[in-house]
Amino acid sequence: MPPSYRIINYALRPAKAIERRMLCAAFERLHPFQRIQDYRYVGFGSIYFSDFQLLHRQLGITDMLSIERDISAEACFRFNRPYKCIRLKFAASSEALPTLGWKRRTILWLDYDDRLNVSVLRDIATVCLRAASGSLLVISVNAQPDAEPSKEGRDLYEEETRRPFDLADYRLRIAKQLIGEKLPPGTSGADLRGQDLGRVFREVINNEIAEQLSIRNAVLPDEKKIFYRQLFHFRYKDGAFMLTVGGILYRTADEPIVRACRFDTLPFIQNGSDHCSIKAPCLTAKEIRHLNSQLPTTPAVKLRAPGVPPGDIQQYAEVYRYFPTFSEILFA
Amino acid sequence: MEASNCMAPTSSPQGEQGLIDASPTKEFFISMLTRDIPLERAIIDLTDNSVDGAQRLRPTGDYDRLWVRIELDSKHFRIADNCGGIPVDIARDYAFRFGRPKEAVGTPGSMGQFGVGMKRTFFRLGRHFVVRSTTAESRFTVDVDVDEWMADGESPEKWHFKFDKLETGLHVKEKDTGTVIDVDRLLPNVADTFALENFRSRLAAEMSHAHALTLGRELGIALNGLPIKHDPQELFASQSLKPGYVQKSYASKELVGEPGPPVRVKLYAGVSERSLHDGGWYIFCNGRQIVRADQTPRTVWEKRHQMPAYHPNYAYFRGYAYFDCDDGALLPWTTTKTGVDADSPIYKAVQQEMIAMTRPVLTFLTNLEKERTAAPAVRPLQSAISAAQATQVQVVVHPHPFVAPLPPPAPSGPRMQRIQYSKPVKEVEKAKQILKVRSFTAVGEKTFEYFMRYEGEKG
Repeated sequence: MPPSYRIINYALRPAKAIERRMLCAAFERLHPFQRIQDYRYVGFGSIYFSDFQLLHRQLGITDMLSIERDISAEACFRFNRPYKCIRLKFAASSEALPTLGWKRRTILWLDYDDRLNVSVLRDIATVCLRAASGSLLVISVNAQPDAEPSKEGRDLYEEETRRPFDLADYRLRIAKQLIGEKLPPGTSGADLRGQDLGRVFREVINNEIAEQLSIRNAVLPDEKKIFYRQLFHFRYKDGAFMLTVGGILYRTADEPIVRACRFDTLPFIQNGSDHCSIKAPCLTAKEIRHLNSQLPTTPAVKLRAPGVPPGDIQQYAEVYRYFPTFSEILFA
Repeated sequence: MEASNCMAPTSSPQGEQGLIDASPTKEFFISMLTRDIPLERAIIDLTDNSVDGAQRLRPTGDYDRLWVRIELDSKHFRIADNCGGIPVDIARDYAFRFGRPKEAVGTPGSMGQFGVGMKRTFFRLGRHFVVRSTTAESRFTVDVDVDEWMADGESPEKWHFKFDKLETGLHVKEKDTGTVIDVDRLLPNVADTFALENFRSRLAAEMSHAHALTLGRELGIALNGLPIKHDPQELFASQSLKPGYVQKSYASKELVGEPGPPVRVKLYAGVSERSLHDGGWYIFCNGRQIVRADQTPRTVWEKRHQMPAYHPNYAYFRGYAYFDCDDGALLPWTTTKTGVDADSPIYKAVQQEMIAMTRPVLTFLTNLEKERTAAPAVRPLQSAISAAQATQVQVVVHPHPFVAPLPPPAPSGPRMQRIQYSKPVKEVEKAKQILKVRSFTAVGEKTFEYFMRYEGEKG
């Protein structure tokens, strides 16, 4: 089975591309803490380094570290590194993160292919216990519920449990394997289907952040206690359901600085269980230019594009500033 | 000077002056008492008292419609039950006293054994607590402000907690009996921890384990409105697959050299739902689970006992050991009820039985794994598991050894050897086409036969 970066070109996932640009716009707001260029960025660049390219070009960040667990293809990753300032660390994130210096304010986007599991929670713990005030932590995980397994999968379930196959219980068994005792009490198999899996995952992530900060804060004086404020809660589907949650870690004394960042003026910021759903309508380049010529506008004004469903127009208007344009180019 | 001091006859100082005040201060006492107990355990200690109440009320062990409800948040802790209430004499002589008098009459077969549970939990949680309890004959309230109590002086009578209200000689209906305990002015670290969802999950899991047996008897335990669920103690049983069951009784005379109630032991070993995490031995003392899914030498595993180490092949294994005695002091549990006292004579004796019962189950599971890798057409061992029903261990009443089908005798004919190797998929697919076969096994066999036909005669 080839690695996922050979199956999908990450740059072509439109919802992800929109999310990336939205995150970038939010990162830009961190300037009351310090010059954005002086932040460090830590991410999983894969071979496309899309996030690294965007953040270096848009924000001028130069202290960049890409963690890569596929040690077997080191040459390939080094070759594809777009800028010299990107350092590469070949290790699992759970090994790499604890070895970093944490004095520097950091933007971390832990963009996993996997579903939420204990190793992701361990990474969250590592960051929450160490990150400096003014750092941003963003986590993306696959939140696609388990599909009905094949005949072999069902037989194995029945063989191991001596119970007739039950999809809800099957999902609960898998969730227990992934998250273990951190699964919220009272979670049933019915909570693990459709969009609900994302809800449970967000809850588990929030619980982990709260627990780790309480451990960190137990030995700190009040003014140095670290808080977490959620800023991001995206859901989208470029194939599988994806969940992105994240926010800012700051100490009590820095609360006025967080306010000065004015994150709330960005339309996609979500502080709670409501999420921002990213949908990328399929539009032609000509339709996009036509709609752009009518934007920005107020909701009262009706946007027009011949033959484009009103729903798609509405969706486009919500994300147009972050909308990627794909085109075929012939390199000469 | 020194020499003369040594030689000089010393006279004992007389009266009060000569006494060294070795009585602990309240502050020191509280800090020592609460130091080693994790918060989850402290709360479970309180639920033990409720279960003891249920046991007094219904000695037969059917707890249908009895409940224990725990509510906690960052401001407040409450545990309420309808389990019969705390009798005044138990409150006076035991629950609110420091240290348990030797002569105190406890609840036969009770979980609360060490005379510290309740008070330890109160001090661990907060600085103000109120206990209201109603039994069939009495009703009392104890309301303690811990800061005032600490400031009130250290003389022996100042250590007592007083009844704020006490009524006796009442006739209360059973359904109106019970206990409500409130603790507030929570300590800062307790308040922080109570606010964490992850703490509540952990507490729910630990309660579910500790009270697995009691929950099975229909006692309803809830945490913040959510009922605590438990995994029942089940083993697969059928005509061809029967769990092993051994019953033993140990006289108090042999255990501690004094007459007293006997310790009754029930042991079950067999197979159940395959789970790497849940496989192993479970140990209960007076209904309280103290060891869960043990996979270490503490029970039966590894070289020390001439046994294999726990292994994924044994993920079907379950063993359950129940120790019961009217005098809890004779049971092999630790004071925190989080483990077994491995040095106690009774445990050492029972451990040998556990090892003996584990062996035939592991042999069966090893054969099952052999059968699985050999993948024969008929799989009698797997079929035995498939045909069995999950059965609660309490249903098994007649002692008998573990029964399982034996692996079929090796087929007659020459001894066989398996060969395994890997080749590029493209080449194997090509060979499959040339040989006109469907499976990779057939590719292997046909190519081997081809080689032997042309080269095999030469040797």
